[in-house]
Amino acid sequence: MRYDSITDAIGNTPLVRIDPAVHGLRNIDLFAKLEMLNPFGSVKDRAAWNMARPLLAEAVEHGSQVVELSSGNTAKALAVVAGMHGLGFKSVTNRMRVPEIKDLLLLLGAQIEELPGQSECLDPTATDDPLTLFHRTLSASGSTYLHTDQYYNPRNTEAHLTGTGPEIVKDLDGRVPDWFVACVGTAGSSTGVARALREEDPSVRVVGLVAAKSDFIPGIRTIDEVQEVGLFDPETYDTMESVSADEAIEGMLTLNRRCGILGGPTGGAAYHGAVRHLRAVDEELTERRTAVFIVCDRVESYLSYVRQRRPDLLGRPPRKNSPADLTDAEVGGAPSVTVAEARRWIDSEGPLVVDLRSPYAYAALHIDGSVNIVDELFAELLQGGVPFSRSRPVLLACPVGEQSARYAALLTRMGHPDVRSLAGGIIAWRDAGAPLVRD
Amino acid sequence: MGGRPLYLEPRLEPRLRSLLAATGTLRSLTDALGSPLHVVVPDQIAENLERFRSVYRRHHLSGQVYYAHKANRSSALLRRLAATDAGVDVASLGELQHALGAGFTADRITATGPKNPEFLWLAALTGVTVSVDGAGELDQLAALVRKHALAPVRVLLRLSGFETSGVKVLSRRSRFGTPVRELDPLLEAVERHGDAVELTGVAYHLDTTSVAEKATALEGALAALEACRSRGLRPRAVDVGGGFGVSYLAEREQWEAYTTALTAAVLGRRPPLTWGGHGYGLRGESGTLRGVLGLYPAHRSVAGAAYLDELLAQPAASLGGRPLAALLLEHLYDLHSEPGRALLDQCGLTLAKVLEVRSQEAGGALLVRLAAKADDIALEDHGVLVDPVVIPGSGAGPGEGPVAVHLFGGLCLETDLITRRTVFLPRRPVPGDLLAFANTAGYAMDFHATRAQHQPVARKVAAWQDGDAWRWCLDDQFWPITPSGGAQ
Repeated sequence: MRYDSITDAIGNTPLVRIDPAVHGLRNIDLFAKLEMLNPFGSVKDRAAWNMARPLLAEAVEHGSQVVELSSGNTAKALAVVAGMHGLGFKSVTNRMRVPEIKDLLLLLGAQIEELPGQSECLDPTATDDPLTLFHRTLSASGSTYLHTDQYYNPRNTEAHLTGTGPEIVKDLDGRVPDWFVACVGTAGSSTGVARALREEDPSVRVVGLVAAKSDFIPGIRTIDEVQEVGLFDPETYDTMESVSADEAIEGMLTLNRRCGILGGPTGGAAYHGAVRHLRAVDEELTERRTAVFIVCDRVESYLSYVRQRRPDLLGRPPRKNSPADLTDAEVGGAPSVTVAEARRWIDSEGPLVVDLRSPYAYAALHIDGSVNIVDELFAELLQGGVPFSRSRPVLLACPVGEQSARYAALLTRMGHPDVRSLAGGIIAWRDAGAPLVRD
Repeated sequence: MGGRPLYLEPRLEPRLRSLLAATGTLRSLTDALGSPLHVVVPDQIAENLERFRSVYRRHHLSGQVYYAHKANRSSALLRRLAATDAGVDVASLGELQHALGAGFTADRITATGPKNPEFLWLAALTGVTVSVDGAGELDQLAALVRKHALAPVRVLLRLSGFETSGVKVLSRRSRFGTPVRELDPLLEAVERHGDAVELTGVAYHLDTTSVAEKATALEGALAALEACRSRGLRPRAVDVGGGFGVSYLAEREQWEAYTTALTAAVLGRRPPLTWGGHGYGLRGESGTLRGVLGLYPAHRSVAGAAYLDELLAQPAASLGGRPLAALLLEHLYDLHSEPGRALLDQCGLTLAKVLEVRSQEAGGALLVRLAAKADDIALEDHGVLVDPVVIPGSGAGPGEGPVAVHLFGGLCLETDLITRRTVFLPRRPVPGDLLAFANTAGYAMDFHATRAQHQPVARKVAAWQDGDAWRWCLDDQFWPITPSGGAQ
């Protein structure tokens, strides 16, 4: 396979059969359309490229900025396409809740603007929602924007009508699957594929999946939010069903661990929704049927999403010399000194004073002569052993004397002969009128 | 009625639940004092304060919780708070006089909002901390201090327009505060007025439900304090304002089902759920939903003190990713907060008597007229949708099953709807029943009330538990030493 441009590599993604031992359906062959294998990592590459392509020449001529309301994959694809053509890209969103995606977009040179949250005090005079303001800005005279408008642009749907849908039929040797299952975001892929399949065989049943109302699954809308999408038409779907975030993550794990398909939570939601829907009909069948679902992007971008919801999946082995291992008795018995004692001790024996606060707080005000080792770093240092000589006494200080007591207990346990915690911390120091400096 | 009733049942904590169960007391109260009637529950505000204090304690933070007075005019609530360690945030001369009269000393009062000269003078004279909106106000305050030979006044600088690096968080525009971009000239003014004012910190108040925006502002406030320190000033506090929210509804599922049904109604896919097909900001355009839902998010998993806790746990990207609470503590800053609505959560209810129940010809919703005006029960003005609780009148027999109703007030205005939506009640009300609107103490009692048409404004009483019984007095008569009541 040789290409002249990376955009030529968009589409023609594989259709992979899911092992029946995994999904447990007896009469249905279940296939995953691996849109995650598009060059920029998601199903949105097709739509982004199809929407932007005809406008690029003019945009380059005018030096336009590409803009889109997107919280993820469309933004990613458009940022790359814009960059390839020397154009800037700006994403405006109110739902970019996955930090990795945000960082990746910034890395790709995107500008991100987040829309303000809902007003806490209702303002009945407010006539414009942020989206209306956004559209007004775009249409203001003299502005040079290339707005792909993915929620309304028919070329979004068209990318799947002419690409994704026909590819599925081709890979099934000219047959249309009996079921097509897709998560609904912009509704572009589900609508385009459904239309392509129905043109070949109107008996295909289309299952649309949305997020449970109180849940957040990246890339999927809830049953109310889909109503805000211009491309969404309830007639497209034979049934709409909802999937919870937990179910999406469980489905994702099955794809990741048992099928070798490194799809993200949206793909997991599609898998879970497909199997749940098909299991009910599988029992009744007497002949073989096929179903296809879409894996729309990759798992790597969603680690913090998983960490937040299922920290157990990212469990790490316990660490050595961790302050978390200490008993309450050990912490309670940690050697400590009052502010007055500490001042005398500093004058007489000159202990090493270690300030565990953040560098910003330390820079603002600290005990003269102290060193700053922020607590997180200190915890890491201690894993390797005591980071200073045992012959020199040490005074540990934190804001209120709580963390310093922990570390004093830990260092004592690790064999340091004279480490003490400043009781009441820097706050007690300040309140006692002891000097703090900025140097 | 178009399908199953769509209830929006109020969230009731034990005190309000118990008060609503004291039907005899509530009936005799409205018999004596008329309808509508506000009942406030002073002991609850002390309990709410304690919830905020526990968040402070968890993060080892010191600083004051200021009650935002404008949310309710009640003397009882204010006096009950005066008997705690809370502060009060006053936004007018009248509120300042009220707070001083309720027993708040100047060190527990902060003056905010747009100020007239009399308000500023009394604040300066008594030694109240002033949250300064801009350089002009600072000049005005300094001139007052000098002219009347007053002691230097403690000031907080109210800032706005915080910006982030990397991801730009667009913020709702505010009329209040000085944009952080103009901090330097403002600090120069502080230095110029060094004889008349003493800078104690910075403040902000953002009207948003977004934790991310508030975190951005708090991070920006920390940066502003560092700018103060680098000039040799000695600030020691950040005032993060309020806007921590209240969860009005008992069931998340009810809120979700209602808003989904409203969406369907706006798109014409089910019968209207509101008077005249009002969409609360939503509208349908060729099958697509446009606009934005102008309703208070009435069910919240995180509100009040828990919201503050969540805000404090946000990492500050520009300051090494440490949580904001840790940064406040490490920098030795006091945290001030000004919850209004959240401190008044579960602190009161409003009673209105049913005057008339009329069936419509088409068999639609019943028309229920209350002895009240819409502005006496201003939940709707704040976009809060919550069902009233039906309290049977003394002689009334129970009605049959669920009904849909429209609730009207007593003004001869089509707009005098107590709520624009169709309200579902578990049974048909009859004249003489009371409807109790729970949780109205925050902004929904007297923020909008008027005396139009010589219709009386609702009176207000304070109620407290005395063993198993509920006792009450007029709001004005309540002091924390009231026999068997309040803080004793």
